[in-house]
Amino acid sequence: MSIHFPSSDESDSGFYLHSNFRWARIFILLFMLILVSRLWFLQILNGEDFRVFSEKNLLKESDVFAPRGKIFDRDGKVLAENLPAYKATITPQYTENLETLATDLGKALDMDPDEIVEKVKKSLRQSGRFFPVDIKLHLTRDELFKVELLKLDHFGLDAQEFILRNYPHKGVLGHLLGYVREISQREIPILSKKRNIKFKQKDIIGKKGIEESFDTNLRGKKGKAFVIVDAKGRQAAKGSINAIGESLKRIVAEPGTDVFTTIDLDLQTKAFESFEKHKRVGSLVAMTPKGEILAWVSYPPFDPNIFAKRVSPEIWRKWVNNSDRPLRNKVIQDHYSPGSTFKPIVALAGLQLGYISANKYVYAASTYKLGKRVWHDHTQTGQGYISVAEAIERSSNVFFYKLGEMLGPDNMARYASALGLGQKTEVPIHGEVPGHIPTSEWKAKRFGEPWQTGESLNMAIGQGHVLVTALQLAQAYSAIAMQGQVYKPQIIKKLEDPINDYFQSFEPTMLRDLTADPESDTYIEPRHFKVVQKGLWRVVNGKQGTARFAKLKPPYSISGKTGTAQVRSWSADQLYKSCENRIKKERHNGWFVAYGSYKDEPKITVAVLTEHSCTSAASVPIVKEVIQYYFEKYHDLEEKKNES
Amino acid sequence: MSHSLNLKIEERTPLKRLDWNYIIVILTLQVIGLVNLYSAAFSTSHLSRVFSAQTLWIPIGWSAFFLIARLNYKRILNLSFFIYLANLIALILVLLIGKQFYGARRWLDLAVFHYQPSETMKLSLILFLGAYLAKHKSENLGFKELLVPGLIIGLPFLLTAKQPDLGTAMLLAAIPSSMLLFLKVKTRVLVSALLVAAVSLPLAWNYGLKPYQKNRVLNFLNPERDPRGTGYNSIQAKIAIGSGQILGKGFRQGSQSQLEFLPERHSDFIFCVLSEEYGFIGGLFTLSLFTILLFLILHTAANSNDRSGALICVGVAAFIFWHMLINVGMVTGLLPIVGVPLPLLSYGGSSMVTFMVSLGLVASVSNQRYMF
Repeated sequence: MSIHFPSSDESDSGFYLHSNFRWARIFILLFMLILVSRLWFLQILNGEDFRVFSEKNLLKESDVFAPRGKIFDRDGKVLAENLPAYKATITPQYTENLETLATDLGKALDMDPDEIVEKVKKSLRQSGRFFPVDIKLHLTRDELFKVELLKLDHFGLDAQEFILRNYPHKGVLGHLLGYVREISQREIPILSKKRNIKFKQKDIIGKKGIEESFDTNLRGKKGKAFVIVDAKGRQAAKGSINAIGESLKRIVAEPGTDVFTTIDLDLQTKAFESFEKHKRVGSLVAMTPKGEILAWVSYPPFDPNIFAKRVSPEIWRKWVNNSDRPLRNKVIQDHYSPGSTFKPIVALAGLQLGYISANKYVYAASTYKLGKRVWHDHTQTGQGYISVAEAIERSSNVFFYKLGEMLGPDNMARYASALGLGQKTEVPIHGEVPGHIPTSEWKAKRFGEPWQTGESLNMAIGQGHVLVTALQLAQAYSAIAMQGQVYKPQIIKKLEDPINDYFQSFEPTMLRDLTADPESDTYIEPRHFKVVQKGLWRVVNGKQGTARFAKLKPPYSISGKTGTAQVRSWSADQLYKSCENRIKKERHNGWFVAYGSYKDEPKITVAVLTEHSCTSAASVPIVKEVIQYYFEKYHDLEEKKNES
Repeated sequence: MSHSLNLKIEERTPLKRLDWNYIIVILTLQVIGLVNLYSAAFSTSHLSRVFSAQTLWIPIGWSAFFLIARLNYKRILNLSFFIYLANLIALILVLLIGKQFYGARRWLDLAVFHYQPSETMKLSLILFLGAYLAKHKSENLGFKELLVPGLIIGLPFLLTAKQPDLGTAMLLAAIPSSMLLFLKVKTRVLVSALLVAAVSLPLAWNYGLKPYQKNRVLNFLNPERDPRGTGYNSIQAKIAIGSGQILGKGFRQGSQSQLEFLPERHSDFIFCVLSEEYGFIGGLFTLSLFTILLFLILHTAANSNDRSGALICVGVAAFIFWHMLINVGMVTGLLPIVGVPLPLLSYGGSSMVTFMVSLGLVASVSNQRYMF
């Protein structure tokens, strides 16, 4: 067989392009020559070097983990940081005798040698022999020293530095910050797709709280380092190869973005300690009336540091079996009946729609009869003729039964929703539930039944199908304090990444102003807010207020509303039975939602729920302590501002 | 040879008309690919299916080859505008509704598989530009004559560059530009093009782009093969090739290729396996085969009985040449790492079929010589 190449003298073909063909062939030959010369250079001139290198050494690439961004409070105090730590690893590829290594290492680290062998074998099956297996994390100084010594005799053993996430305030901020842990096998494809990052085994990810919501910002970018290792996995002497060493670039890891929260660590600690002191289970959220969250407590707490170090099955069982549910973020993950804290919202609706006015007195007995059923006040004596402000002050049920009956569900629901109840606040923390505000339409759709008047009565005192979160109530009461300006709860103050010159700060966002548009169906006149504010003030400062304990000395004051929310409904004879005698799950939840003012100017809103505490009186002291502390901390500041 | 042409016409039956040299060269390259694929794939479990898959793709490729070879390429050329247009629409759709992976939008989800229109555009461009240039007076091209071809090339180039996929976009420009250069462009066009490039590129690089944009450009060039941009892949490839020396380490003896140090060793880095195990001799032999294949295609072009046939062949030659040059250039460390397969050797069904279709086109041009 012969291969014919066209000669350049053909003149009857190729449309007189023969000189073009000649150029094309020259072009091809020229580049082929370049490629062949390159092969010559690599394989013949430098081949010996490469051959020696390839037989004795391997070039290894390793990840350099990026330090995670720190999390700070509003004053720049550290809430989450990184600490250096050491771990012992075994790389199966280089081990010679796994059993003796396991025996010696087991002695040094006080571990069962079989457990070590088991770990290595499991990883061998799953990840292959090149993947270093973590034997023990968080080596003590002593252990680190022993591993370094053992390394000399045992190939494959190594002590590696890694970054440990540390939460200096432990459980105080557990629910808000969340925690970090290694990505699971199952999460790798899911998160890679969702976040458009290539996740790998052993990557650290944020879970829950700010660690999860801002993981993309916090995590930074991994770097790469290269080492030339010999056939035993030990780092080879430098300078052993010149032909290849020229262009290995180390990639420096980029630290993550720092996150500054709106949290006030002092206030947060105070709030946390308050729960501790009063031995209560529940949640607290404190915010400025413009929505900057200052404190966020869910009690009992969990320590996020435990997650960073891996949770033992015992601890996990303890958490899961605890009926007080320490892993639950009760501020947003659980919704509750608001109880009487819903009444001010009903009052606003009633005032705006003209069913009552500031000066109209309504007779409120101890019972209210609707059809055959008798509805009870929380007192057995009744309240007599009272105004709306007094009804709020004394938390009269009968007053609100009557108002609720007149308003009907949809009017109440409209204003409640306008104030942010029954919908997610979209605070960037994992697991928020929307709560629920019932309407007649919802009832028809859900149960196929029309709305019963009795349900309006129930709804007016915040029972029945009305469900809210602590954060929603804090938002709604802030709006009442702000005369109808509803602000979005905000947890992040700014993001800072000085290396990439990236700064972003966040300002309070007003969602809507209910006093802005008289045409709107959720419009509320400013004077009605004044009436309700008066009522809330009297709850604490009036003669018959339900939270008189929370009274402060002028010019400071607290205005708020208590609420005792039944977790189930009771028949009349059961109703006045002492709550303490019931089993724990059936005891009432206690609410107190209030704002603290300085010279009639609202400064801070606090919502506290104490679970199964029987009475709102359990929540009142916690709120008081937090607001009092806030004014103590900022007192001088306020005074000075006042003078100037 | 020109004298013997008339005699040959009578001798040739459809089977005999086949250029056996051409077929044997293609087949040899595929076998070399298979041998190295076997070597690369059998060291690790997750590649074990690669070899058997490729043994299936080769006959599928040949079926496509013969199917196209039996067709009259002129009938394909009559459709070339619509093929080009449909492909262009697909490219626009990619930008609008395309599948996004790791920051680049390149694929259309066709339920059965992910279709990458920029890949088929290479062939569509060869066909349409060939048809266009054959119809219009097109020798020694000046600015005026280059206006329409520039548009034909420019649209898919920009659409692909925007995905972003600069690697493929460059190829989309290089292949049809080779066809234009083959027809010769006026010196002043050439000089001004070079001048514009020489002035605008460094300017754009130094003043037009921010550091992060530069990084992005580098990442476009190099999206998946070397996302780290550290030179790690490139160095492992060089160690593998260099350590092969003159005769190589022998079949399945390449330590670099057998260990998992070579990335993508079954597809884009197959030449490393070849060079490590068969050394300089193996590489030289393979490059020679490529040279012969290219010359055979140019031979068909030179002997085709119309302009369009000649131009298609030149386009196909450029298609194979640029892929080979960039692939071998990148694994030997002459060029940055971009994801370009080595024609006929690299693993991959769609690339095998595409190359075989293009080679089939050349066979069709060759066959038509004997049909009057």
